[in-house]
Amino acid sequence: MSADSATARAGRSWREIRQEVTPRAMSRKGRFRQRLEWLKISVLTAIVGGLAGVIYLAVHTWLDDRAALAAIVESDPVRQVSVETDGTLNRKWVEDVLALPRGTTLMELDLPALRDRLQSTGQVRVAVVKRSFPDMLAVTLQERTPVARMQVQVGLGPPRQFFVAKDGVVYDGFNYNPTMVATLPWLDGVRLKRDGKGFAPVAGMDAVADLLVTAQLQAPLLYRDWLVVSLAHLQERDEIIVKSQEIPEIIFSRTEDFFKQVARLDYIADRARQLPQPGQIQSINLALGGQVPVKLTTLPDDPARPANPSKFPLQPTNSQRKGPRDL
Amino acid sequence: MISNSGRIVGAVEIGTGKIAVLVGEIARGRELNIIGVGLAQSHGVMKGEVVDYKAACEATHHALEMAEKKAGARMDAIWLAQTGGHLDGFANEATVNVQSADNTVNQLDIETVCNLAQQKDLPPGRTRIHAIRRPFRLDGRAVPDPEHLTGSRLDVGYWMVHGQESKVSDNIHVVGGYHLEVRELVLSSLAAGSLLTTTEERSHGALVLDIGKGVTDYVLYRDGHVLTTGVLPVGGDHLTNDLAIGLRVTTMQAEMLKLRHGRGTVQTRDKSEKVWLNGDMSFGDRQFPKAAIETITAARTLELLEVVRAQLGAKFAPEHCGAGVFLTGGTSKLPGIEEAAGRVFGLSARRGEAPSWVKDELKDPMFSTVLGIYQFGLRAAHEHPNPVRRKTGLLSGLAKIFS
Repeated sequence: MSADSATARAGRSWREIRQEVTPRAMSRKGRFRQRLEWLKISVLTAIVGGLAGVIYLAVHTWLDDRAALAAIVESDPVRQVSVETDGTLNRKWVEDVLALPRGTTLMELDLPALRDRLQSTGQVRVAVVKRSFPDMLAVTLQERTPVARMQVQVGLGPPRQFFVAKDGVVYDGFNYNPTMVATLPWLDGVRLKRDGKGFAPVAGMDAVADLLVTAQLQAPLLYRDWLVVSLAHLQERDEIIVKSQEIPEIIFSRTEDFFKQVARLDYIADRARQLPQPGQIQSINLALGGQVPVKLTTLPDDPARPANPSKFPLQPTNSQRKGPRDL
Repeated sequence: MISNSGRIVGAVEIGTGKIAVLVGEIARGRELNIIGVGLAQSHGVMKGEVVDYKAACEATHHALEMAEKKAGARMDAIWLAQTGGHLDGFANEATVNVQSADNTVNQLDIETVCNLAQQKDLPPGRTRIHAIRRPFRLDGRAVPDPEHLTGSRLDVGYWMVHGQESKVSDNIHVVGGYHLEVRELVLSSLAAGSLLTTTEERSHGALVLDIGKGVTDYVLYRDGHVLTTGVLPVGGDHLTNDLAIGLRVTTMQAEMLKLRHGRGTVQTRDKSEKVWLNGDMSFGDRQFPKAAIETITAARTLELLEVVRAQLGAKFAPEHCGAGVFLTGGTSKLPGIEEAAGRVFGLSARRGEAPSWVKDELKDPMFSTVLGIYQFGLRAAHEHPNPVRRKTGLLSGLAKIFS
């Protein structure tokens, strides 16, 4: 019963009867009780609403009004900035970028704004800025790695060197080793667009980075001679053109496997060096799949030799495999 | 099972003669401490049914307010007694074949048979008050819980109590007018029976009669379970009215004579023995033959008891009612009524006594129903009488899938 209530399934139960009565049908005491309950609910709602408001204000103050929060929470002025990074940036650079006003307390700092300021430099990929009480600001950085460099004319001044990362971000690098910088190829065929204070990311840099990394790992001797990487035909033909010290034009296809293309290039370069009457290679087009046209120029002492493109067998013989290789 | 999430729960009986309210503090779901009592003369109620909403509200709310004041606490919810001539009941049974290959009864069999036994539509305008389960029968033998027992055929019966929806609503709305929620509705006879009889007495068989001013509620127990319940729209008023007509006095005077000199059986042999109407020798005070008063009240008492006996019909058998007849309610205070009941039912009859835990001031029969509401509710909550409520979780779910 209420053994019954356990089994109130079939038929219409008294529990389905609507129990509420209109205020007119209530006695004076009943109406008083009802109003008292409404009052209780109102007070409870007001308390809950008030608490929610206080929480909202606290969060709002935390995010937007540091000065007000600093007035509430006591903290010391920032005396030290600690920097941890996986790259070349240092504490001085971070302090310069952050440009914290002297005497600023930890609680006054707008950490999201400081983080954004660091990340807007380009070289910083991810910045984490934390308060370390009582007086230290802890900055942890993850930096971008440059893939190529560019000469950019900014305003009326002399052209400046910028670096381009794998994600296409163009930035003014700081504290890079000049030897490392010298190994980076120049980027060409790119029209930079302004984006705020910096430049919009360069499209297609992920493919360029893949090609350069493949070349650097698989054929470092060849890569060492690469001077310029042009993206002029990347969008319409999916071609990346590399200019090296030996070969003025090496055309790579973005859609083909870079490993195979670099291997073919290495082979062709080897073969070209072993020709009995070696000519100057003008162009190698690796973007045509199985066919690799190689354009040679004849030497001045062999006028009879045509300057037509020659073709090399793509599969090296066994004896050729034993020769010196970069692969 | 009666829920008892509210800490302060009121038990209310809106009777024809009086409205009784108790305020109980329920601790740990089963410990009851009665902290307030409210009693008011009833108005706007006839034969246990509300006929004047405003008058009934005034009287009930007065009793509720009084009880809350005495308790010094506000009630969270109400357990309400339900009576009235509109209440009716019927038995409904169902049978299932045990489903498992090894003929072991599982939870699904029990649930199925219980659902089937309760699936009977009520006539329009009727609402169910209780569905009281009787013992399970497994291949004909009565078992309290058939789960894990072996057998091929499982039966169960339910005693379904239903009432007229509008009248039940009126009763609930009287409490709603005080801005209180009725959490449980308990049949008055079940409440009284629950208080006045012990488990052992119910297992021997017992008949409980709650004779109020306007109605007589009864419940018949057999083998520890409710066999039948009923409400007769006849009560102490019946005796008063006949006295008023027979002695040509007002109803109030008749009520006074009934309370002072009425009896369930005729005791006075001297027909010349007379009693005063007021007894104060005031102007208009009259004398009446005592034997005449006793004759009228005894005749009506016997008539009332005979009607109950007739309504019970074949369900009542003295040999299955070993614990006897228990009388309660205001009219049960009539001297000699036990003897009259003994004669009618062929059993020993006695006035029901509240258990020892009840305070002396609440041992009056007029509190039997309200006290019984608590007793019934708390016992139901404690005993979990319906095994259908137990779930075996994952296994139960799997059984449903494969069924």
